[in-house]
Amino acid sequence: MTDLLEGLRLVAETEVVIAIILSSIYGLVVGSLPGLSATMATALLVPFTFYLSPIAAVATIISASAMAIFSGDIPGALLRIPGTPASAAYTDEAYAMTRKGQAELALGAGLWFSAIGGIVGTLSLVLMAPVLAEMALNFSSYEYFWLALLGLMCATLVARSSPVKAIASMLLGLLVACIGMENPAGTPRFTFGLTDLLGGIEPIPALVGVFAVSEVMRAMLIPPPPPLPDRKFGSILAGQWALTKKYQWPMWRGNVVGIIIGVLPGAGADMAAWVSYAMSKKFSKEPEKFGTGHPEGLVEAGASNNASLASGWVPSLLFGIPGDTITAIAIGVLYMKGLNPGPTLFTERASSMYALYIIFIIANIIMIPLGILMIRLASRILKAPRSAVMPVIMLLCAVGTFATGANLFAVILVAIFGCLGFVMERNGYPVAAMVLGIVMGSMLEQTFVTSLIKSDSSVLPFFERPVAGVLAALTLGALAWPVLAWALQRRKVAAA
Amino acid sequence: MKLSDRMSGGILVALGIAAAWFGSRLPGVPGQDVGPSVFPMVVGGGLVLCGALVAFGIGQGFEAPEEEDPTPRHPLYGLRALLPPALLVLYVLVAEPLGFLPTAAIMIGIAAYALGASWRLLLPLALIAPFGVHAVFAKLLRVPLPDGVLPAPW
Repeated sequence: MTDLLEGLRLVAETEVVIAIILSSIYGLVVGSLPGLSATMATALLVPFTFYLSPIAAVATIISASAMAIFSGDIPGALLRIPGTPASAAYTDEAYAMTRKGQAELALGAGLWFSAIGGIVGTLSLVLMAPVLAEMALNFSSYEYFWLALLGLMCATLVARSSPVKAIASMLLGLLVACIGMENPAGTPRFTFGLTDLLGGIEPIPALVGVFAVSEVMRAMLIPPPPPLPDRKFGSILAGQWALTKKYQWPMWRGNVVGIIIGVLPGAGADMAAWVSYAMSKKFSKEPEKFGTGHPEGLVEAGASNNASLASGWVPSLLFGIPGDTITAIAIGVLYMKGLNPGPTLFTERASSMYALYIIFIIANIIMIPLGILMIRLASRILKAPRSAVMPVIMLLCAVGTFATGANLFAVILVAIFGCLGFVMERNGYPVAAMVLGIVMGSMLEQTFVTSLIKSDSSVLPFFERPVAGVLAALTLGALAWPVLAWALQRRKVAAA
Repeated sequence: MKLSDRMSGGILVALGIAAAWFGSRLPGVPGQDVGPSVFPMVVGGGLVLCGALVAFGIGQGFEAPEEEDPTPRHPLYGLRALLPPALLVLYVLVAEPLGFLPTAAIMIGIAAYALGASWRLLLPLALIAPFGVHAVFAKLLRVPLPDGVLPAPW
């Protein structure tokens, strides 16, 4: 109880309150601009977190990412261009509703069920994390190895990309993580004699490169999105309660699926939305209405992506294994602020954890009024010409990464990763998998090598402990999936 | 830059072989079987396998087809994409001698022009945005941005 009160006091500090409000507005604006994703919004926040207290720093990331995931629905519904990849699953549906004259209902559903999903996801974090923390105290390097590998495998299961290419991207990330001296022997690896590479490649320049610079590069080639026609909106929340009652069951299913996908290390909001939308269609009583402007899938997937956002913090806080690309950034910030992830965080820093839960709840509650305001102002904000936004983003990429280490070499890395991300994306290699590979490479190697040394180079002990065995089975299942799916598809094609 | 799967797979195979080869030559830890070379070799091996699968088209078929731009373009049109990274490199090269404000103004001006901004938008943007960014990063966050020939007025 004292921890809870202490947590409340931490959140009530002026600095934290201002951080929540400003980062919420920032998240809403960035998320609504097509091409600027929630991950990018978070990555560009990192230099600001340097100068904030630990709780305020975490608060900016939580509120900006939650708002950006919702606000990605706005251009999706109005222009048929998803603001963030997590909205892409149901963009066509939302746009069909707008064309039927139900823009308010579509946007309201996005907002209302995002907030519900976020709150349910937070509750799952509150309930699950301490229980799992108890368990995690007994984990050895074997379990951590499998967890890290499982996280990476989940990241390769993202929809709409070839699993083989996703695994290749992930391996590429692991290779990048090999660069530098941070390995079991402290030998410089793949540094090509450059002193700048001795310290390895930090995740932030890589993230900013593949998520922001490559987006500016893409903008150079494709025409800007059409301007948003001015429109007057009716009441945004009208009808949401009726929807909640009517689609109660899909909503809960969306929440639960989102939570499960979020807890899986490596799989995040994008995947949650795709899976939930597909499930909604499959289990619906009226699947034929999907795609014609039917709110059911919107309810389920909208709740799902925000729920996954909160539960994605479970593996991040407990094991230091990111639930998605956003928490990958958050983990870096946690370490920097002395809130090192691990099971002891929940016992020794309980008040900070309570503060974190409270911030999640607050962010999802103020999302409703701020979101309504954002929807009403959307046509003005989306008028911001792309030729003005993108150059400023590019400048922020340079200054922001420079600020994280006062090192100009990081800016070169941003440019290189921008090109790499651009080429990979064009050829169907998912960049998120590579980023998670970079983030988790050193942890994976460390646990792998430690385990091998402990087991005297034998592979058997990797499977002997019960939890390690289960995790291993899950990981190998994820690895076998592409092969199975491919074989099944070939049989289908052959049969047809 | 659209590469064929054969091409991108081939690049991955070559990269994997190089990683495994250079990894295997890393000095080990005396008295221990497992050293810094194990991980690059495993990763390199994986890359070779994945690259080969990609090159031979095994396990494909989940990809959403990319929307191609229908308007015919000059073959060199794709090079425009290289402008943002080139401007970042420019920043690294000239920010120190020239100073942050002029460098940022040049970067923003060129990028906005390439994106088709009108002069009425471009000029004020290139003049005002660098000051805004400088105010936030140098003044508020105390990031040491170079002064060069044109120090900021604060």
